[in-house]
Formats: sequence, C-alpha cells, structure tokens
Amino acid sequence: MPQVLFANLPLLLRGAAVTLELASICVVFSSLIGIVAALAQSYGGFLARGTIFIYLYLVRGTPLLVLVFAIYYILPYAGINVNAMTGGAIVVSLYFGAFMTEVFRAALASVPRGQWDAGRALGMHGRWLMSIVVVPQALRLAGPPFINTCVMVVKGTSLVSVIGLTELTLTGNEVVERTLAPFQVFGGVALIYFVICYSLSLGGKALEVHLSHGQ
Amino acid sequence: MTFDPEMMARALPILLGGLVVTLELSALAILLALSWGVVLVFGRLSRFRPLRLICGGYLQLVRNTPVLVQMYLFYFGFALGGLRLSGFVAGLLALVLQNGGYMSEIYRAGIENVGSRQREAGLALGMRPLEAFRIVIFPQAVRLVLPPMANQFIAIVKDTALVSTIAVADMTFRARLLVERTAASYEVFADLALMYIAVTATIAALMSVVEWRLKALS
Repeated sequence: MPQVLFANLPLLLRGAAVTLELASICVVFSSLIGIVAALAQSYGGFLARGTIFIYLYLVRGTPLLVLVFAIYYILPYAGINVNAMTGGAIVVSLYFGAFMTEVFRAALASVPRGQWDAGRALGMHGRWLMSIVVVPQALRLAGPPFINTCVMVVKGTSLVSVIGLTELTLTGNEVVERTLAPFQVFGGVALIYFVICYSLSLGGKALEVHLSHGQ
Repeated sequence: MTFDPEMMARALPILLGGLVVTLELSALAILLALSWGVVLVFGRLSRFRPLRLICGGYLQLVRNTPVLVQMYLFYFGFALGGLRLSGFVAGLLALVLQNGGYMSEIYRAGIENVGSRQREAGLALGMRPLEAFRIVIFPQAVRLVLPPMANQFIAIVKDTALVSTIAVADMTFRARLLVERTAASYEVFADLALMYIAVTATIAALMSVVEWRLKALS
C-alpha cells in the first residue's frame, strides 16, 4: 500500500499549486511573446524579422535545462538577483515563446486569402482588417496546437526544480530524501502531472468543439 | 565581470568529452525510439480493440508526464526495488518510452494522411494488404513523416541534457562543474549553447538532405 504517498499527499499538492502558478504565468507571457513575434515575423520590417529569426534559432537549438542553469549562474554574476520563481518564469516563458510563435504564425498563415480580400472589399484595411477579420479566425485555428504547447509548458516547469523552486518535482525529491520511498513518491508526482496535463487536453478538446459550433 | 574569449577556448576540450556522451545517448535514444514507435503504431492501428486501447492509454500516460520525473522514477525508484539502473540506462529508458510514443503518432499521421483510397487502389490492382502497404502507402508516408521526425530528433537531443541531473557526465553536467569551479559562467554557457546548436543544426541539415533526395527520386 502506498502509505508514504498518502501521508505526503498534502505536501505534494502544495507543490502542485506552485507548478500551476508558474505554468499559468508562463502560458500568459509565452503567448504574448508568441502573438507579438508571429505578427512581427509575418508583417514586420527587416529588422524585426531578423531579430525574431535569431531568437527562434537560438531557442530551438538549446535545451531548456541549459537555459535554466544559464540564468541561475549568469544573473548573479551580472549583479542581478532574482528568486527561482522569477528566474524560472523568465526562462520558461522565453523558451516556450518560441513554440507559441510557431503556433500563431502557422495559424495566421492558414487564414484563407479570400478572407483578406473580403475584408478589403468591405473597405477595411491595416489594423482594422487584422483585428476584426484575420486575428479572430487565426486564434480559433491556433486552438489545438496551443493546448499542446500549454501541456509542454506544464511539463517544462519541472526543470525549474533544479534551481531550487519548490514546485511539484522538487517537493517529490525532498519527500524521497526523507522517506526513502522513491517509487511511490515519484509515481505519485507523475500521476499529479498526468491529471493536470490530461485535464488540460480534455478542456482544450471541449473548447474546440464549442468554438467550432460558432462557425 | 568581463567576457573572456580565451576562457571559452580553454573550456571547449572539457565540454567536448561530454559531447561524446551526449551524441552516444542521442543516437541510441533516436534509434530505439524509432523502433519502439513502429511497435506502438501497429498496436494503435490494430483491429483488436483492447490492444488499441492499451496503446492509446500508454501514449496519454507518457505524453502527459515530464521526462525528468520519469527519469527520477527509473533511476531512484527501481534501485530500491533491487533493479539498479545506471543514470545512462535510466535516462535512455525514459527518453525512448516518451519519444517512442511521439514517433508512433508521427507514423500514424503519415499513414492516415496517405489515405485509405490509395490502399483500396492497390488492393484493386490485385496486391495483397501487406504489398499495398509496402508499395503504395509506405513510400508516400515516408515523405510526409520526415519533417516532423526531424523536429522530434532535435527534441530528443535537447532532452538528453536532463540526464545531467541523474549523474551522467554529459555536456551539461560538465558545464555545470566547470562553472562552479571557475566562475566563468558566460563563457562556459556560451560554449555549451553553441555546441547544442551545432548538433541540432547538423541534424536539421541532414534531414533536409534526405528529404530532398527522396523528392528527387520520385
């Protein structure tokens, strides 16, 4: 019987709350980065496109763990002191911002050209056309890959445990050190992640069905 | 603190020793995940319902839990049960179990996008089901799966960095030791990031060559 797991469940759930908090912050900021970067990449000038190209290239080729360590070791030397929560939120948002950029770029590209023409035929142009015709449709198309990326964000926050943020994974580590029951505890930790991520996917599917009724 | 290019050059040989471990682990993980994905996709497309359900459930399970936690489970969890896995084996196991699931999804999408009409056309020409798969479906599906497969290979290489947390002396592990000993954090992490980017860019380039050659063949 997994008695150790049950005894430590309240502690693990407190860790899960920190995971959820960090993941929510990162979903918001990475989405903002993604939307701005996707718009700039699709319609921006040479300088904006170049900057975003370099950003995407660097992030796509580097492991998240390396970036997490980098911010932990580099910022103090640069004289900036941030706690693990802030540092983690910055790195995870920047990392998944690149994935979100791809999600929104693909969505913008798959809005049919006819929709632009229709908007122009009605006399719309520039920001007006974008905000009323293109972006709302793109957001609907972005739904499923967006949810996938959110699941990746939740899983990605587990890496912030290595720089000392007491979220779900680090809480699991600490409980294991005290109880010496790694199988039960990490099994339980995996199960809590599963519940979070799986309900996220189910919620995403329900939202998708709901949105497609509106069409 | 200033940036010292000489330090970057001095750190390089030490990190290169870890590159061997990273490459070895990546290559094994990619090969085994490719094969495990084949096994899983047969289960997913099987006519036997329980097998389909088991494979589908497995996929949800590995997809919705972090690889890092899986590594801890295999490394620390199995050891106490008497099955002592080295960090390398535990890391490899977690990478293969998770990415095999992703691979099977890539295969499935490729096969389903070729479409059942192509299969029916093959059957109408008198091919047996396995022949229709080999001659009609497979060559078309290969071209569809290459781009997502390249992305997955890159994700695997990046995820190998996680084994540094279970005492495997890969590039990331050595970089951390070096930073703690020398305090040259800018230089060492610049080296490390550049090396990962070099590996992943090489994989991306190789995969586009394969894709291009296949296109030229057809």
